[in-house]
Amino acid sequence: MTSSGFGDAAGRPAAPAPVVVSEPAEPALREAVPAEGDFERLRELLLGGERRELAAARARIEELERAQRDLPGRLPDAAVEALRSEHGNPRVAAALSEPVAQALGAAVQTHRQSLVDALFPILGPMIRKSIAEALRSLVANLNGAIESSFTVRGLKWRFEAWRGGVPYAEVVLKHRLAYGIDHVFLIERASGLVLHHASAPGLPPLDADAIAGMLTALGDFVGDSVGGDGSGALESAQVGEDLVWVEHGPRANLACFVHGVPPAQLRTLMEQRLEEVHARLLALPADAPLRSIGDDALVRERLEPSVLLRDTDEATAPVAARKPSRLPLLLIALLAIALLGGFAWQRWRWDARVDALRARLAAHPGFMLTGIDARAWRALTVHGLLDPDAEPLDAVLADAGLGAVVPVLDANGYVCADDAVIARRAARLLAPPASAAIAVHGRVLRLSGTAPQPWIDAALARAPWIAGVARVESTLAPTGDAVADARAEIARIVAELQARHVAFVQDDEPVAGADAVVDELAASLRRIAALAPVARVDVETVAYGSNDDSGGSEANARVRAQRAQWLERALVARGIAGARVADAAEPSDAPNRRGAELRTVVHEAHR
Amino acid sequence: MTPLTHKVCMLGDFGVGKTSLVARYVRSTFSDKYLTTVGVKVDSKEVALPGRDPLKLVLWDIAGRSALDAPSTSYLRGASALLLVADGTRETSLSSALNLLMQSRSTLPDAVAVLAVNKLDLVERWEVAATTLSELRRSLPVFETSALSGAGVEEAFAEIARRLPG
Repeated sequence: MTSSGFGDAAGRPAAPAPVVVSEPAEPALREAVPAEGDFERLRELLLGGERRELAAARARIEELERAQRDLPGRLPDAAVEALRSEHGNPRVAAALSEPVAQALGAAVQTHRQSLVDALFPILGPMIRKSIAEALRSLVANLNGAIESSFTVRGLKWRFEAWRGGVPYAEVVLKHRLAYGIDHVFLIERASGLVLHHASAPGLPPLDADAIAGMLTALGDFVGDSVGGDGSGALESAQVGEDLVWVEHGPRANLACFVHGVPPAQLRTLMEQRLEEVHARLLALPADAPLRSIGDDALVRERLEPSVLLRDTDEATAPVAARKPSRLPLLLIALLAIALLGGFAWQRWRWDARVDALRARLAAHPGFMLTGIDARAWRALTVHGLLDPDAEPLDAVLADAGLGAVVPVLDANGYVCADDAVIARRAARLLAPPASAAIAVHGRVLRLSGTAPQPWIDAALARAPWIAGVARVESTLAPTGDAVADARAEIARIVAELQARHVAFVQDDEPVAGADAVVDELAASLRRIAALAPVARVDVETVAYGSNDDSGGSEANARVRAQRAQWLERALVARGIAGARVADAAEPSDAPNRRGAELRTVVHEAHR
Repeated sequence: MTPLTHKVCMLGDFGVGKTSLVARYVRSTFSDKYLTTVGVKVDSKEVALPGRDPLKLVLWDIAGRSALDAPSTSYLRGASALLLVADGTRETSLSSALNLLMQSRSTLPDAVAVLAVNKLDLVERWEVAATTLSELRRSLPVFETSALSGAGVEEAFAEIARRLPG
């Protein structure tokens, strides 16, 4: 066994002691080296306490590390629990306030979008609510304006806007946006002391001196802070619907505490009032203190809130202020009355003429009026049924007196059974000689007078077939020398026929009434055709055109041919065939006019 | 009858107790926050003196400072009297009050001036010597006041009212 060799009493390590090895060497060596269990015991003896403390510390560290790891999971519950605690709440809130504020600040800088995303669901409803409130207010005002538009008050406002030359909306706003003046302060500019103060009735008392002082101090503060060169001053301050307007004068300031939305005229009125106050200040005796202006009755009266309100309203009502002449209004009214009267008179005149036309058309034989479409002094259309044998309506329509309006006839044909129309129809179809007369009474056709026997025979045979004729009564007597009478009659008819002509406006455009002339020509030709066999003659009819002096010879020849052809076609349309067209040839008498006429040549019949 | 109104400015170093003196003397209309924002707070107090018509004092409590700057000078305009306030426990505040008086004389050469040495309730800690106050009383009225107990407060304001024209 060797010495322990662990050191001296001072704790210094001892030098290793020589080890004497004898045989057998191996077992001795094994004995000299301490076994593992010995080390442990030595460790336990020397370091046992420290090792236990170390183990406890290690366990504590592990415990803390475990707690640290679990902290994020337990922190929300712990915070909730702490905030719930009656005593812990203020401490926890105070402890969290600073880091939360810092965290929010940092988040605003670094995670702005996240914050926006988070706040959006909150801000959206708030903004919508605010907009909804504003819109509700706007709608209320609009409703008021719309409602007022149809009331006496609304009309009065419109009249006020018209006379004042301002938009209607401005007048509505002026009346709808109520405002009131709560307090009026006249304040000494230098000291801020109250020179005069007036409040609206019903308001609680206030420390006018303190308020005037603070207002002055605020004005000085604003002027000194942002006024720059000293010219700036506090002229207005607004919180919500409460407003302070301050007017500055060289010696005194005028302040009005207003609620609502005052018109700009109040500001102007304040300027005027302050000028009046300064004028009164100048009139004060030299030794009179400035504050004596507050005892001035006129100043007190002029600075009353109710007086300021009244004067502002008058200033915003241009009607009352200007008192414009009523002459323009009167002239406009007279003009309007004259226009209305003129319109009514014109309308009455038109209606009277249309009524007269309606009466004449209704009484016109052979025409059945079904309606009149009329636009006063613009257009008129007559609707109805017209018998071809009726008197033309041209004259009736032309005499209607409708000014520049040309009546339009929209007529369909029909057969009329009026006596007058039947008589015209019978005369057209029978072509009686001048010595014979046709009359119709109660649809009974009466033939009287004298006529050649052949014509009498033909007339009596055809008369019952005439539309509208119920019965035929005849007292006709045959003439003596039928041939001579017929020739004389033909000669007379030819003379009449050749005296007539169809007039043209230009080229082949006939004048109004040309159809009536053609009708007469056709009737004459029928009569001649009826008399020719009795007179034992042949009659040749030639249609000529004629022209006046204007135009060249070629053009006139062409026009003459066109007019002759037009007349021939018109006769054919009326059942008269056989008329020869003379083309460009002129009749022997060659009338100098724009027309077309017939010339007849009578020959002995070749039998 | 409307009482005559006079503007009284209160000047003094920071923390000498001006606002406390006003609070002891009047019931304020406005919050003290105006002192830190605008730099002034205005109150009024009607004073009745025997044998005289009542006066109204409009008190401009100007935020504490040892020297006048431009805003403070503008607040002095039109003042009839100055109430200088010093803290008895801080001798430097007395110097500041006297300094403010000298500065304000350029703006208000004829204003009534009264000195209130405040915090009489802490008289055992006063740095201002009685001899100093005696010396000062030769040139202006001096009152030892306590905003805490109210001692001397009414008297100081009454003295101002007495010295103002009626």
